[in-house]
Amino acid sequence: MATYDSLFSALGLKEWCAEGKEDGPMSMADLLAKAKGDNAEPESLWDFPFPSMDALNDSCAAFPQSRELTKGLEQGFLAVKDNLSLVLDPLTQPLSWALDGALYGMLTTPWWIIIPIMLAVVFLVTKSWKLVLFVGASLCLLAFIDYYVYAMQTLAIIFVCAFLCVLLGVPIGIAMSRSNTMQRLTIPVLDMLQTLPPFVYLIPLIFLFSVTESKLYGIAIILYAIVPVVRLTNLGIRLVDKDVIEAANAFGMTPSQKLFKVQIPLALPNIMAGINQTIMMSLAMVVIASLVSAPGLGVLVLRGIRNLELGVGLVAGLGIVILAVVLDRVTKASLARINSSQNQ
Amino acid sequence: MANEIKISIKNLYKIFAPTPDVALEYVKRGMNKADLLDQQNHVLGLRDINVDILDGKITVIMGLSGSGKSTLIRHLNRLIEPTAGEIRLDGADVLDLNEEQLRQLRREQMSMVFQKFALLPHKTVLENAGMALNIRGSNVADFENEAVKWLARVGLEGNENQYPHQLSGGMQQRVGIARALVSNSPVMLMDEAFSALDPLIRSDMQDLLLELQGELQKTIVFITHDLDEALKLSDHLVILKDGEVVQQGDPQDILLNPNDPYIVAFINDINRARVLRVRSIMNRDVDSDIDYAGDLSEKDNLETVLSRSGGNTELIFRVVRNGEAVGSLSMRDLTRALVPTDAPTSSNARKD
Repeated sequence: MATYDSLFSALGLKEWCAEGKEDGPMSMADLLAKAKGDNAEPESLWDFPFPSMDALNDSCAAFPQSRELTKGLEQGFLAVKDNLSLVLDPLTQPLSWALDGALYGMLTTPWWIIIPIMLAVVFLVTKSWKLVLFVGASLCLLAFIDYYVYAMQTLAIIFVCAFLCVLLGVPIGIAMSRSNTMQRLTIPVLDMLQTLPPFVYLIPLIFLFSVTESKLYGIAIILYAIVPVVRLTNLGIRLVDKDVIEAANAFGMTPSQKLFKVQIPLALPNIMAGINQTIMMSLAMVVIASLVSAPGLGVLVLRGIRNLELGVGLVAGLGIVILAVVLDRVTKASLARINSSQNQ
Repeated sequence: MANEIKISIKNLYKIFAPTPDVALEYVKRGMNKADLLDQQNHVLGLRDINVDILDGKITVIMGLSGSGKSTLIRHLNRLIEPTAGEIRLDGADVLDLNEEQLRQLRREQMSMVFQKFALLPHKTVLENAGMALNIRGSNVADFENEAVKWLARVGLEGNENQYPHQLSGGMQQRVGIARALVSNSPVMLMDEAFSALDPLIRSDMQDLLLELQGELQKTIVFITHDLDEALKLSDHLVILKDGEVVQQGDPQDILLNPNDPYIVAFINDINRARVLRVRSIMNRDVDSDIDYAGDLSEKDNLETVLSRSGGNTELIFRVVRNGEAVGSLSMRDLTRALVPTDAPTSSNARKD
């Protein structure tokens, strides 16, 4: 006798319950009860169970157990998976090409070309010799301890993913800033992407794509890192001085003139802050994504955990910190340059 | 040409509300601003505005904050859509324009100067001045000459390559004026253009505006809350209160014959001797028998006359225009004019 028997008999559902009287999978509680021996449950109020799926199932075998819920979800996903990947595969294929291409390019080009190019880019965006020196020293340090290849893999992935985040995120942010409906619809999605533990969206991705494809981790990184650039683009455009917008209207700007001549330039500091955050978040995710075959420093960290190679894990972790500092300083310095050129 | 009507505002109403049509009925039946807000929770912006803005003149719209003056000026280029009424520019109703035509109007017919300058902070002074032409599709090389010319005209020679934040407020507003002038539009809308500037700079800017106006004869609609400024600049003065026109007309006339206690309260504080001019209070009869103490120009203000009289209230001056006698002014009349006039007590004396 279970607690809710009387409920089902009162509702006249006894027969329906009896139909399901075949031995379904046992819940953990059942197993424990069985192991303890069948001493009848003490019907004190203290032990009164919540009418959960499992508790109701005890009284009525036809009622689904909670594990059937997760199982149903899984089966539903598997059912649509083939059709879904039929659409998603070709759509995301360019991402694989871009990632593979970037990795191939960064690794086959000799270090004495790659490092100077990077330093030149750093100088171009920051105009600061101090920073160039710092970046040069960091890269040389990583190369000296033979972590050059791993660091370059990580950087290549970040460059591709952050670039795509900006490419997709800025237009989404602009669309959000122009329509309140769009903003209302997008913000819950952004909230979810930001709060969902990153491991969680690796799970459906593993089902959808094969682990050998680079787009698997590419998508995971983009989903995780796109949020700040979208949010800050939206915010930046909404914060543009209303008076300036009114002036733009009063002088007869078309909507696209307004966007490109006023809104985006004035929102640029915020957009750049978003890009900085996006790059930092892709770095965080690229480490986790090593679980699903993303190459780079994360693989070494994983090796450190799996094989208990303490030194490898720690040095790789330190390498990630160095990359993070480099990326952060460079993007912040270019942001500061933009800020100072239009400070009011 | 000077007296043609450039812009004519007829029966203009504006009610800020989600359902303005309902509220409009109440307002037309005579509900006032406070009641409308109280009972309907709707804000009355403008009520039955009728103003004719003359070509080539400066029309000043004056009122305290909340009187609807900024709302009114934004109706002229439809930055704000009216609830009811007409706005005719050169006879054509601005409200009939579609989006593209409206954009054309804003680009070519009306330029605007803002209280907070509203310059583009990421563009140089030169690019800001050429903004109107840039919007029409010309690049820096095309508008450079024009922009440099007008920047020099407003006193900003050599500042072309600076950014707005490097300039003082007064200089930024000069850029704002240059921007409006470069657009070469016949109508200039100035929304409290000088209110954010300190008094000395403001006075300089007023002089600059009058000087430019003497040259260009644009149709200028100027918004201000400062009566001194309004009297200094205006050819035609419109006084707004709670979204209604209280009195409009020649500023000297309003000063001498205020028709509302609100206006009396306003004009009590000003220096009448400096604002009133000889032509407004002179006697139009020319009597050759009288022994005149001297000749005055009809444009002189009373302060000048007072200093010339040396305090003697017995004198009578002759008023001349282009060397021809057009009237006389006794010091006794002058003294009387210096005392503020009360508004007529009965409110039905108000005319529109």
